[in-house]
Amino acid sequence: MKAKELIPRLVRRGAPAVVLAPAGVDGASPQEPSPLQRQYNLVRELAVTQFRLKYTGSVLGYIWSLAKPLMIFAIMYAVFSRLLRVGAGSPNFALQLLVAVVMWQFFSETTAVGLQSIVSNANVIRKAYFPRAILVIAATMTAFMTFLINFALIVIVFVPLGRLEVGWQSLWLLPLIIELYIVALGLSLLLSTLYVFFRDVGYIWEIGTQILFYGSAVVYPLGFVPSKIQRIIVLNPVAQIIEDVRHVIVTRQVPWSGAVLGVFWFAPMLVALAAALLGLWAFMRWSPQFAENL
Amino acid sequence: MTVAISLSGLSKRFRIPLDRSTSLKYRVAHPRSSSRYRDLLALKDVSFEVPDGQFLGIIGHNGSGKSTLLKILARIYAPSAGSVSIQGHVSPFLELGVGFHSELSARENVYLNGAVLGLTRRELRTRLDDIIGFAELDSFVDQKLKNFSSGMQVRLAFSIAIQVNASILLMDEVLAVGDASFQEKCFEVFARYKREGRTVILVTHDLGAVDRYCDRAILFDRGELVKDGASGEVTGYYRQTVGHRSDVDGRERTAVNRWGSGEAEITDVLYLNDAGVAQTMFSSGSPMTVQIHYRVHGELQRMVCGLAFHRSDGLNLAGPNTLSGRTPITPPGIGSTGTVSYRIESLPLLTGGYTLTVNLYPQFGEESYDYVEQGFPFRVTDDIGRPGLVDLGGRWSASQASN
Repeated sequence: MKAKELIPRLVRRGAPAVVLAPAGVDGASPQEPSPLQRQYNLVRELAVTQFRLKYTGSVLGYIWSLAKPLMIFAIMYAVFSRLLRVGAGSPNFALQLLVAVVMWQFFSETTAVGLQSIVSNANVIRKAYFPRAILVIAATMTAFMTFLINFALIVIVFVPLGRLEVGWQSLWLLPLIIELYIVALGLSLLLSTLYVFFRDVGYIWEIGTQILFYGSAVVYPLGFVPSKIQRIIVLNPVAQIIEDVRHVIVTRQVPWSGAVLGVFWFAPMLVALAAALLGLWAFMRWSPQFAENL
Repeated sequence: MTVAISLSGLSKRFRIPLDRSTSLKYRVAHPRSSSRYRDLLALKDVSFEVPDGQFLGIIGHNGSGKSTLLKILARIYAPSAGSVSIQGHVSPFLELGVGFHSELSARENVYLNGAVLGLTRRELRTRLDDIIGFAELDSFVDQKLKNFSSGMQVRLAFSIAIQVNASILLMDEVLAVGDASFQEKCFEVFARYKREGRTVILVTHDLGAVDRYCDRAILFDRGELVKDGASGEVTGYYRQTVGHRSDVDGRERTAVNRWGSGEAEITDVLYLNDAGVAQTMFSSGSPMTVQIHYRVHGELQRMVCGLAFHRSDGLNLAGPNTLSGRTPITPPGIGSTGTVSYRIESLPLLTGGYTLTVNLYPQFGEESYDYVEQGFPFRVTDDIGRPGLVDLGGRWSASQASN
């Protein structure tokens, strides 16, 4: 077996030589990458390519991915905060809204591209094998990169202005963002699977995203709605995450969302985990049939 | 001998929706219904083993299940029944250039396509120069793929593909893409794989290639394994039972240019071996008959058939025609068909890929009825590997002066 892997140089008369041997053999790298390293490499390659392709060809390029949430924020601010006076009692509500919009943008964009990620790569799926989840992960990573840059820009702009609360509690950001990513990835896995078999899912999710937007405490602080409804809304992990991110970086006067649920403060995390596991299960169950159904 | 691939009782069933309604409305309205599906058994209870280092050709008509089998081996499809066991690393792709993106440069596509094939950026970086060099694209590394000709794209895809480090290679109709010189390159690599003792499974319509390169061939028909044996035996059986049809199906018409008044139309060009069977692979020194089929669409007074044999780079090697060959053609009436044949008793061409220009015209200097430039590729292999382009047919003699 081993002898077969040591492939000699392919030399063609009049053409440059090609090394057919694995990199380990010519000493370029000491050991053969593991399957996991190769899969990670593919995720990175796909994500970076998609990220780059998304912004090449447009004059302003990356600026658009920043401009979009800013525009949405401006409209939301004008309509909800100024016109309807939502969040009037909540301190620093404009910044709360901006942070919420950027997080919401990440969620809706991730699930939208995640949903398409299998169907839009039909050609690759029919012609080559690799774990299919790589396509979904890569699609979500592309949106995640945009989100991280946008989020970093908010921090860079507003921390010196003293508008963000920075302290030990800011460390909570990390688990909260991870939770948001897990929810988005889990839903993407589920939606991309369903979308292969039922194209209606595309339209349903578009409407679903709109409904979820109003159910995610983006344009209003959670405390703005009656406490009965608060308990329902906060079960939505996206609402919980947005509310808690506001608490830990924008203003600590926003209470922890878990307070609404008392001893069951962890319920939204359970919902998040359940969504992720459901997505993973559905994907594992049906991904072997993707190629023949595309 | 170790077994690389072992299949037992393998079946694959496809459910073909009759009206392609992947809508929820239908599912909701007919929750238990399965009547709108047709079951297609693409593979029926297939069992065989492939020993390590074998070069196996899989042949059969379109829709016989051979590509489905390859997709199951590559893990693209899951089998419906039966088991597959594979010892070794299988190349994960069936076609060249999977995942190529036209908006990216050649360099970026090497990293992207390479990643799809399971190579890491690090591995690819050390081999980038080799890949680009082998594809002969040195001055185009940073140009976008969309500006590449299809030939350039195929060359790039091929030089990435041969970097894949797999002990079992799967190839689906690789020979159908690219021009004659590319096919030549493919064959060189296949021959090398064979020498290295890698296991190769080739799905193709080109029976000549199966004869020449494969140790063994398997014939599929409607999902069933019909014949399994030494390649010559199986291809012979196939030729007898289904004639030359399949060879014609699979041959790539690479003609780039075609023009003419259309008063006569070249409908087919076949290369026949001594037994009158069409093929695209010939040995130097063997007989070959070029058979041109045509159909007449206008009132023709006279017609000349001219051929030009080209080396894969376009060099014109010979240009016989019926006029210089003193074989006048009497054109038949409108709607009739005819054939013209050119027989070469002993093919003087040596190893390489060749193409043919076919011209039907009234007489020298007048507009063609139909002109197909550098199409109909065929391949010649010289069994004794003589260098050069042609066998001049000369005779050697040697004498010694004694003193």
